[in-house]
Amino acid sequence: MKPGMNSARVLYHMVRADFLERVRRYSFLVTLAFAIYIGYAAYAGTIIVRLGDYRGVYNSAWLGSVMGLVASMFLTLVGFYIVKNSIQRDQDTRVGSVLAATPMTKAFYTLAKTASNFAVLASMIAVMAGAALLMQLLRAEDPRIHLWPLLSPLLCVALPAMAFTAALAVFFETVPVLRSGMGNVIYFFVWTALLIGPGTQTLDRKKNEPVPAMAYVADFSGIVSTLGQMQLAVHGIDPDYSNGASLTIGDTQGPPLKRFVWSGLEWTPALILGRIVWCASAILLPLIASLFFHRFDPAREWGRQKSQAPAIAASEMESHSERITAAPVSAASLSPLPQASHGIPFFRLVAAELRLMLKGKRWWWYLVAAGLSVACFFTPLDAARGGVLIAAWIWPILVWSAMGSREARHSTESLIFSSAHTLSRQFPAAWCAGVLVAILTGGGVGLRLLSASDGHGLAAWLAAALFIPSMALALGVWTGSSKAFEAIYTVWWYLGPAHHTPGLDFMGTTPASSTPATYAIAAMLLLAVAWLGRRTRLGYA
Amino acid sequence: MQLSIENVSKRYGRGNWALRNFTLDLKPGVLGLLGPNGAGKTTLMSILATITRATEGRVTWNGADLAKNPDALRSTLGYLPQDFGVYPNLSAVEFLEYLAAVKGLDAASSRRRIDELLNLVNLTDVRKRALGGYSGGMKQRIGIAQALLNDPQLLIVDEPTAGLDPEERVRFRNLLSELSGERIVILSTHIVSDVEATATDIALISQGTLVTHASPEALLQKVEGRVWEWILPSAELNAARQQYLISNTARRSDGVHARVIADSGPPNAQPLTPTLEDAYLYCLSQHRSGSTK
Repeated sequence: MKPGMNSARVLYHMVRADFLERVRRYSFLVTLAFAIYIGYAAYAGTIIVRLGDYRGVYNSAWLGSVMGLVASMFLTLVGFYIVKNSIQRDQDTRVGSVLAATPMTKAFYTLAKTASNFAVLASMIAVMAGAALLMQLLRAEDPRIHLWPLLSPLLCVALPAMAFTAALAVFFETVPVLRSGMGNVIYFFVWTALLIGPGTQTLDRKKNEPVPAMAYVADFSGIVSTLGQMQLAVHGIDPDYSNGASLTIGDTQGPPLKRFVWSGLEWTPALILGRIVWCASAILLPLIASLFFHRFDPAREWGRQKSQAPAIAASEMESHSERITAAPVSAASLSPLPQASHGIPFFRLVAAELRLMLKGKRWWWYLVAAGLSVACFFTPLDAARGGVLIAAWIWPILVWSAMGSREARHSTESLIFSSAHTLSRQFPAAWCAGVLVAILTGGGVGLRLLSASDGHGLAAWLAAALFIPSMALALGVWTGSSKAFEAIYTVWWYLGPAHHTPGLDFMGTTPASSTPATYAIAAMLLLAVAWLGRRTRLGYA
Repeated sequence: MQLSIENVSKRYGRGNWALRNFTLDLKPGVLGLLGPNGAGKTTLMSILATITRATEGRVTWNGADLAKNPDALRSTLGYLPQDFGVYPNLSAVEFLEYLAAVKGLDAASSRRRIDELLNLVNLTDVRKRALGGYSGGMKQRIGIAQALLNDPQLLIVDEPTAGLDPEERVRFRNLLSELSGERIVILSTHIVSDVEATATDIALISQGTLVTHASPEALLQKVEGRVWEWILPSAELNAARQQYLISNTARRSDGVHARVIADSGPPNAQPLTPTLEDAYLYCLSQHRSGSTK
């Protein structure tokens, strides 16, 4: 067999096996459910594309373009977190060690993983294409089905964005710093930069001005290309159109929108070149990622602390311990435990959980946490509440994100869950430890609000201190992973507290944006949800 | 001290039954739970360790139903699962201190106990090293130590010698024998020699059902007069395998020495003293032929 043929066959089987492994997990159903929900939200008008006072007639071209935009906007964020586990899974299942012993190159592996990630994201796009078709039939504003205008935005705009997202997920899994939970936080900002990046100001250009060629090329998501061309189409029918263009979620207020007929994207050379560039980047990125890929070499695993001996030395360590302690020991050397030894104060268990949470952090992590904690005390109160606290409560994100999923992640469930009173002692102790982290890092603001007799501010601070660990615990228990909290908390933190957005500002960073009662209730509900999840997980509760 | 398993069955989802109508009463001593891979041993261990709930039947500890009051057992349970993990950033001492707190042991008692246990499992020298750098065998020894933390009355160990070197394996077998005096020890394994060395009672499990529960002596009696040494040309070995249950073969200059388990021996075969492995294979083959009839 020719080497090229063989490589193609290996690639096919790697992607196929990886894809089947993923789609046969319940989490994939959640993924598809999300894609279906996005489609439904577009149908129900919860997600809407507006061009000032206009929207397109629901024909094939408009629905295809809207779905393409929605996919590019949301699936590039959510999809990343969904697929950023393909290398980790090979490591967890130990399949990676088997693959590492084959002649497969590192570049081939990272390319195959990108292709597998892409297959998952593409399946979500397929669902959205079906949703677009269904929407056109249900809306019945224009029943004529035109396949190219319907599918081309999904195939040629959204899919290249998915390909790049798939490649980014592999890149993040291979580069040491990005592989950890920190990578999940960093990706949100990378995504934001990609989305509102170099071309977005094009949408504010002068009326009737064509979209510049460079804006097409730099347009990762296709938003600038699509909305830019839509703006020109509206100008064609309404010279007074103010150039407004937006994709909004949940805002169904306002007068009914006027309609215009959108005939689909004009495939200019710049637009085609842009999509090719992103597809090419999706191939280039895994090749760069292969330079960082550890090829399942335990000695190169990220996260192994300097205090830990490398795995290769473990056997040496073992034989060393054998040599030194050669004298036989017996069970007779164990002193019996007195009856009174059973039963410890609850705070000791909280301390043990807190120590477990904070163990393994580097000195500089503590230094920054301490600096932020001190700054909460000494910065002017408004600045502390509206600035330092926001930083102080994003810093321990990786400490909180391990809550609820630590036992699953490290396979210690059978050890912990077979102990007595897990649900009534260990579980609340873990939650209390999470609250303590919030108090230790942002306690200065709470104390100053107390001394300033700002009851509302203090209530908001307290609600946040309870809400954050409750959310972490609930997501950790139900997903068995730290990723969901890392992704959701980062997005929420950015949209809410960082922008002091009323309703979303769970930290209550300004008096105007704080809603303590809502988040106190949410904290209790989330805690109950987490408790139920843990109860379900325990065979006997 | 009594553990009663009454008609316990376990079904995963809508799939096959992993365990069917399993009944057993246990008193202090070492019970060797023997069975082939996939027999249902780990499922039974998980039920007894209160990790998963039986679909049917009940388990009682000193009369208390585990389904209603699992903590009655958990406070006196030591469990070494077949697969378990550790927190890689913690040292052996820190990990055991954490589990001691979870198990509700006070600080002074647990500190002394941890020192003794680390000495017992031969990890004193590396007690302050992070567990992430431990080998598989060393992690297994940490697992053994944590199972003994609370001086359990019921000790459940599932495939405990997996990953241990021969010396550690012997040490662990001896430890189990010593521990068995005033507690119930359940040793689940498919390695007959582990059971042979330690068990006071043996339960054979196959296809989710209890094949037999007997003392090692009673089990050996079942196969008494049914084990033979048969010397045959190597060319005839495959045909012999079709006809007889052969537990072992050794090639010698005069031909293949086959260890045959059969009610009546092949022509010219000499009787042998049976081992527990012979008894195990005999009972399993009887059970399989019974269940296929």
